[in-house]
Amino acid sequence: MINVEIDGKRVEIEAGRTVIEAAQLAGIYIPHFCYHKKLSIAASCRMCLVQVEKVPKPVPACATPVSDGMKVFTSSEMAVKAQQGVMEFLLINHPLDCPVCDQGGECQLQDLAVGYGATSSRYGEEKRVVLHKDIGPLVSAEEMSRCINCTRCVRFCQEIAGQMEMGQAFRGEHAEIMSFVGKTVDTELSGNMIDLCPVGALTSKPFRYTARNWELSRRKSVSPHDGLGTNLAVQVKNNRVMRVVPIENEEINECWLSDKDRFGYEGLNSGERLTRPMVKQNGKWQEVEWQVALEYAANALSQVASCAGATEVGALATPHSTLEELYLLQKLVRGLGSDNVDFRLRQADFSADGKRAGNHPHVNLPAEGEGANASSRVAGGEPRKFLPWLGMKVAEIGTSDRLLIVGSFLRKDHPLLAQRIRQAVKKGAQANLVHSADDDPLMKVANKAIVAPDAMANTLAQILKAMATEKQAATDASLKGIEVGGAAAAIARSLAGGERVAVLLGNFAQQHPQATQLQLLAQRIAELCGGKFGFLGEAANSVGGHLANALPGAEGMNAASMLAAPRKAYLLLHAEPELDCANSQQALSAMYAADLVVALSAYRHHAVDYANVLLPVAPFTETSGTFVSTEGRVQSFKGAVKPLGEARPAWKVLRVLGNLLNVAGFDHDSSEAVRDEVLGGMDIPAKLNNALQATTQPSALSPQPSGLQRVSDVPIYSADAIVRRAAALQKTRDAEEPRVAMRGDDLEKIGVSAGDRVKVTQGENSVGLVAAADDSLPPGVARVPAGHAATVGLGAMFGNVTVERA
Amino acid sequence: MEMIKNFFKTFLLLELVKGMALTGRYFFARKITVQFPEEKTPQGFRFRGLHAQRRYASGEERCIGCKLCEAICPAMAINIEIAERADGTRRTTRYDIDLTKCIFCGFCEESCPVDAIVETRVLEYHGEKRGDLYYTKTMLLANGDKLEEQIAGDRAVDAKYR
Repeated sequence: MINVEIDGKRVEIEAGRTVIEAAQLAGIYIPHFCYHKKLSIAASCRMCLVQVEKVPKPVPACATPVSDGMKVFTSSEMAVKAQQGVMEFLLINHPLDCPVCDQGGECQLQDLAVGYGATSSRYGEEKRVVLHKDIGPLVSAEEMSRCINCTRCVRFCQEIAGQMEMGQAFRGEHAEIMSFVGKTVDTELSGNMIDLCPVGALTSKPFRYTARNWELSRRKSVSPHDGLGTNLAVQVKNNRVMRVVPIENEEINECWLSDKDRFGYEGLNSGERLTRPMVKQNGKWQEVEWQVALEYAANALSQVASCAGATEVGALATPHSTLEELYLLQKLVRGLGSDNVDFRLRQADFSADGKRAGNHPHVNLPAEGEGANASSRVAGGEPRKFLPWLGMKVAEIGTSDRLLIVGSFLRKDHPLLAQRIRQAVKKGAQANLVHSADDDPLMKVANKAIVAPDAMANTLAQILKAMATEKQAATDASLKGIEVGGAAAAIARSLAGGERVAVLLGNFAQQHPQATQLQLLAQRIAELCGGKFGFLGEAANSVGGHLANALPGAEGMNAASMLAAPRKAYLLLHAEPELDCANSQQALSAMYAADLVVALSAYRHHAVDYANVLLPVAPFTETSGTFVSTEGRVQSFKGAVKPLGEARPAWKVLRVLGNLLNVAGFDHDSSEAVRDEVLGGMDIPAKLNNALQATTQPSALSPQPSGLQRVSDVPIYSADAIVRRAAALQKTRDAEEPRVAMRGDDLEKIGVSAGDRVKVTQGENSVGLVAAADDSLPPGVARVPAGHAATVGLGAMFGNVTVERA
Repeated sequence: MEMIKNFFKTFLLLELVKGMALTGRYFFARKITVQFPEEKTPQGFRFRGLHAQRRYASGEERCIGCKLCEAICPAMAINIEIAERADGTRRTTRYDIDLTKCIFCGFCEESCPVDAIVETRVLEYHGEKRGDLYYTKTMLLANGDKLEEQIAGDRAVDAKYR
């Protein structure tokens, strides 16, 4: 620690930091444009010039390291004159179009020109003109003349998003910021450039010219799109969400936002919103009053429950629903006498259900307690249930030094977690991947094993065996006969050499038909190398659903069995079964076969074909609620706007349904009361538990030679109901019409070349798609995205498919 | 002494004579009453009356929908909605001034970066119903079209002071 004096204020700061950081510590503001705490230092704008004692010229505060006894003057005559001079230069080429500019009112250049600039301009010559660029449907680069070449966007793409998609071309006066010629900026974090741009050169395209920023009121909210629990500021005007910006939270999203979170709001104002309760009578939809719709739904449900038996009622909710909604839904279904309720719609393997928690002391049971055996029990002596979570704090990912990521389309499923891992890798961590597709995670990957889905368990077993050799631990009998391959050995070596190891299971691994086996193996790998083990939560309430107990008990049916053995009545909460469930066709036929489908949805979706009652419920901005993030963080939020039309918060709808069905305990008068009923007095960290006590099945470890296997990802902008309807996101490259991708030689075998139309058949179902060649895929695999309208015609996300010329 | 002075003042009706003298002076002086509407008082070129929206000589409306007038209006009399027009420029889809709220402070005119919203010299306008004084964009543009010559003239005179 050294002492620095800034404007007479003494601060203590560690050596190696810069003057601007010391000033921040002292509470002194130094004007700047190109400096950003999360980006590397460019010192290109020169706005932060300050005077330093014994230095003859002003120096840039962002690029000058502090030294002991340094005396800095930020508002001395020399500093002020330098800042004014820089401001005059910056304004020479900056157009004076603030009234037209969307950034006007929240523009750093505008603010600093007022604070540090001269009152009038001396420049009368022509200004520089920079042609507009088209860098995609999300970020507008229509007025690049406004650019002051701070290169924050360039550094962001390179350092945070992981790929250089923006750059500075030409020199001197002709320097321009642009994307690669003819290319758009496709990173899933591109929207952050809008926040970073200190001027109005990069602005939001969907927001363009729809409002001025001073008219917007700012409401706090939490992202429903992924498990991270990103903090959002929803900006509202006239009871309409106009845009979404991040709220800085170093422990969760830092200062970033993924495009899904930022531009998803367009789906909230979509024309597909359901605004009136509707009941189908004689095959025709009729808009009715809430009372009528609710009574109809309650009567129909109780009729099915009393005539066909309560077990004929099933409830499906998306994990994007709030904790309160999930809790009331399961309470309602259980009140009817059924145990069929589930929110894990895309999961295929439920064999972990009902399994007792294991007593693995190393598998980071959060409550460090009274020894290995005791730690698997909660205070009441009740065995701890399996409750998959991240297994660590989000921030801990960034400090891991060895990572094993199993089955994850990392960048698309968890854009900001991927960013954290990228930062860890930059700091020297080794990332190891086991997956069935080789999408570039835009970070240095130490080792990877890209194998077909049925060989994943085997690959993990190889790693486990290699790890056991590495650590000189005894191997399990089930691992006998496993031959360790080169990639697995390298991964094991990498993990064994780490001090802070994290083994993470992605969405793909959780949706895998052998999910439990994968999990057991991963858990044991983590155990052997003394690392942490966790699940990357798929949706906002992947943990909350467990806390709300929105999953079947011993008697009940889970999401898959409810659809495999169709029920007579379904209650859908936010779910669009054909898009949100693991098996589209099975889900759809179960819906058509049902006598009664009550759909609580914010949208007029496919349910108009098969449902009997449509109840318009509010999406996350229009209701209060709680999301429990994948790290177990409970975040409650309030509604930012009033529900659209006649839509109502789903917890209220469920509460009234409970009353109408005479189920006891439905008298909450606020969502907070529901939350307190669920979480009141609950020791959440003690509930989170990744450990399973089960043995690996040797049969799972040997892949059966079979035909072409389907590998499905859920495209990033098809993952939930809101983003599916976000117009701008749907124009991005990530939302392009899905193709069936196979290795070039696999395509050749069936006599198809890339770009041909092919028929993809899965069981009895088939769809027509365009073929694409992707040599990074393992052999014998066809990658067909799920959760997209174009592939609804297919079955399960995993399994055998055949591809033939159409 | 004071008593005697007051006695004579009262006795000689001095105040009455003084008062009548004043009355008499004004009785014969030139009258300043303006016979409105036949006669009008002179107006300055900065007179702040009825609002108008101006156009450029090409016929293009000046307003760019920056909403500064709406933001500064102390009476919150201005209501604007904006959208991107087909040619990519930002335009108002709604520009209303509620003249029953307006206090004619002229801030809107002052804040306008393109001299689109102006206050004209017109002060003789009326409404028979309350809603008649709610001026919409078309009405304001019509005002501007009708009075452009005078508006432009007044701005030209004022130019050197701005």
